[in-house]
Amino acid sequence: MSKIKSLFDSGVFKSAFIPYFTLGDPNYNDSIEFGKTILDNGADILELGIPFSDPVADGPVIQRAAARSLKNTFSFDEIFRVTKAIHDHKPETPLVYLTYFNPIYHCGITKFLDRAKDSGIIGLVIPDLPFDTAESETLFRELKVRDMDLIHLVTPASEKKRIQALTKTSSGFIYYVTSFGVTGERREFSVDLKERIRFLKETIQLPICAGFGISTPDQANQISQYADGIIIGSAIQRIIEENGSDRSRAISALADYISKIRTSIS
Amino acid sequence: MGKNLPGYFGEFGGRYSPEILTEALEELESTYQKLKKSKKFKKELEYYLRNYVGRPSPLTYAERLTKQWGGARIWLKREDLNHTGAHKINNAIGQALIARFMGKKRIIAETGAGQHGLATATVGAMFGMETVVYMGAVDVQRQNLNAKKIEMLGAKILPVTAGEATLKEATSEAMRDWALNVSTTHYIVGSAIGPHPFPTIVRDFQSVIGVEAKSQFKKQNKKLPSAIVACVGGGSNSIGMFHTFLKDKQVAIYGAEAGGLGPKPGEHSATLTYGKTGFLHGTKTLIIQDESGQIVPAHSVSAGLDYPGVGPEHAYLSQTGRVDYRMVTDEQALDCFLEVTRIEGIIPALETAHAFHVARDVARDLGKKKDLIICLSGRGDKDVTEVLRLLGERSK
Repeated sequence: MSKIKSLFDSGVFKSAFIPYFTLGDPNYNDSIEFGKTILDNGADILELGIPFSDPVADGPVIQRAAARSLKNTFSFDEIFRVTKAIHDHKPETPLVYLTYFNPIYHCGITKFLDRAKDSGIIGLVIPDLPFDTAESETLFRELKVRDMDLIHLVTPASEKKRIQALTKTSSGFIYYVTSFGVTGERREFSVDLKERIRFLKETIQLPICAGFGISTPDQANQISQYADGIIIGSAIQRIIEENGSDRSRAISALADYISKIRTSIS
Repeated sequence: MGKNLPGYFGEFGGRYSPEILTEALEELESTYQKLKKSKKFKKELEYYLRNYVGRPSPLTYAERLTKQWGGARIWLKREDLNHTGAHKINNAIGQALIARFMGKKRIIAETGAGQHGLATATVGAMFGMETVVYMGAVDVQRQNLNAKKIEMLGAKILPVTAGEATLKEATSEAMRDWALNVSTTHYIVGSAIGPHPFPTIVRDFQSVIGVEAKSQFKKQNKKLPSAIVACVGGGSNSIGMFHTFLKDKQVAIYGAEAGGLGPKPGEHSATLTYGKTGFLHGTKTLIIQDESGQIVPAHSVSAGLDYPGVGPEHAYLSQTGRVDYRMVTDEQALDCFLEVTRIEGIIPALETAHAFHVARDVARDLGKKKDLIICLSGRGDKDVTEVLRLLGERSK
């Protein structure tokens, strides 16, 4: 069984806290320290973003993070080095990558997966690779061989037929997009969020984690009452953006924020 | 959906967009399939094309250019004479009718040279739809006349400042808007790019160019031309020109892409020459990218060709060799812009000037008594300020 799924099944957490940040912003070595801080302060699963030049599913905060990261010389060697350093700090916490498909395709699917696995990655989230493509099927097969997960996104616009179809090539958990649009902090969520997540839980035999727009402890607390996990990206990235030029200040702000969210969903 | 199914051209095409857009793309696909068969829709489209756009556009024999270039007879398919001054209106009208049928009250578009933005703003005004146009901030400057026209037509221009602030970034931003407003909004993609079904829909709406050109030429000459030429950025005017001729093996087909300042990454938009297979803006196609799969900024003197990807059908036609794609530099395009203007009395768009350069070489190779049709995709009024600036730089 998938390592991520078994972690959810074991009941170690009522609702998982899944933070996200982009590797390389403002530089790769600081990313290692940010990753360690986030792990130390209560991430149950950590999503690491591999920057892409054209992140169409992301809002301005994560777009800017990717752009800052790409001002450094991008290399997969650096990505895997940083990932391994974060993984070695706390090997028991699952790490997943969130990136767009083009860099993976360009690297070569098997080469990328082998190196990602060696660095401690056990799952992938790819916002621009729908499950019903030949490439997604290949990726799912290759991931399965390596005991890694392919985490698909389901949105408020996804119809029942499509949701049922994607279960065949999904593993780990489902990333439920809480609202229309792209990533970014929001004040309110759709009124039927709770019902949609309940429906998904009945339809898909995987944990349902909610992301896109969640930023405050209150929101995390509220949504964790019915979602299996809470994914937060833009709010974390904003802390790095606002404090990234001063590593120790960024680490302290991250520690404070992560522990507040952690407490709110415990 | 998978390979060899509708939406793919060989290995290229498909639908690689964020999940939030999938239902809208499926709705668009099924609506289009239905409308395509509807006599009422066809009649309505034909009505607007004839009475609003001004179709059929003429096929003009370019006597002076033919003499000047000393080779094949040159014919011009005059998309510059369409309302709004370019081929883009053919597709904008068609998609606006689809949007209206789907009950979408808001339309959005991306634009590079401003011609698609202008066409979208025009149909938005005519059909009374709220219209938003995303345009790179750099393009707003270099295509300022079109930007002003778009605003005058009541559409909102949102300048995009991210990255290189050109067409690629405008496209990303339009996709983000669509993801947020997908239930009320139709995204009128302007070129034969994007996730399925856009490359097919845009191709079908633009095919009127080639269908008319073929029939007009045959009527006048009782034969087919020896060659056809069009410029390729995303590739909508060219696929519209080429499509009906693809099966006519005796017709040689040429595409002109932007060679920019030279072969170094970042200096050109020559996707079909230097691009590698990848995924951008919802489609699998040839893309100018670096060794890590990051998209490399494109460059062209013409804002409409300044895009690091290309329509998937062109990627396929390049792979199969049916179309011969050639690069034209900024300087060559500028020279042709001036030459055609002076000799033929037609100011072509800088995009089209690329096609003229390839056509000149092809015409000379073909020799006399052969015929060549150039798709004159748009007029160059919008480029006059930029051309004067470039000429000023050249004379320094």
